[in-house]
Amino acid sequence: MKTIQTEIPEQLYKKALSLVKEGWFRDEKDVFSEAIRRFLETHRPELMEKSIRDDVEWGLHGHD
Amino acid sequence: MIKSAFKIVCDSGPIIHLDELNCLHLLEDFQEILLPDTVYKEINRYRPLRLNNSNLPFVLSAGTIPNNSTLITLCSIFSLDVGETEALALMEKNPQAIFLADDASARMVAEQMGFKVHETIGILVRSIRRNQMEPGEVLRILRGVPSQSTLYIKPSLLDEVILKIKKEYNL
Repeated sequence: MKTIQTEIPEQLYKKALSLVKEGWFRDEKDVFSEAIRRFLETHRPELMEKSIRDDVEWGLHGHD
Repeated sequence: MIKSAFKIVCDSGPIIHLDELNCLHLLEDFQEILLPDTVYKEINRYRPLRLNNSNLPFVLSAGTIPNNSTLITLCSIFSLDVGETEALALMEKNPQAIFLADDASARMVAEQMGFKVHETIGILVRSIRRNQMEPGEVLRILRGVPSQSTLYIKPSLLDEVILKIKKEYNL
């Protein structure tokens, strides 16, 4: 496991803490790990590249 | 030139990025630019007064959550923020519009819902086809994206885009 130190908005931290208090997660670390995992899932490089390539194609040859 | 027949619904990213690149005028080509309340506030926070001082056809709407349960679920699963969710709720009411977003998750949800989705780079490239800018000018702006905007794009991919435009227009 890698340890990182970062700053996050107070409100974001409170919301994460609230999830832990309600019993949805074991601790804040789990919340942030899950959040990052989900972010990485939707920001896969190949998807972002395809999206831009498709957009350039639309820009060059689209009909709207 | 006759305007595009399309309306667009915007997330804050493309408006901010186009403004940073002095290209906000490219959106003049659309019939209307629909902005939900939260997106409007986000833009005003990062680029104050831009919306009030332009002649663009902005139409502001009250921010609402989507009606479609699938869309609500997708917004939640993909952790979309309030602005993105309100923009997609506007797309739900204007399904023929184009959704402009630079956020990968928001684009993914919009595609899942069958909406037309484009981003800042597409609007820049499209400006050549729509005779809004010369190819050389678009190339100059694209080269300035890393230094003049907060739009992040992998340098090698940006080079690829630039090369494609050069080839397309024999530059």
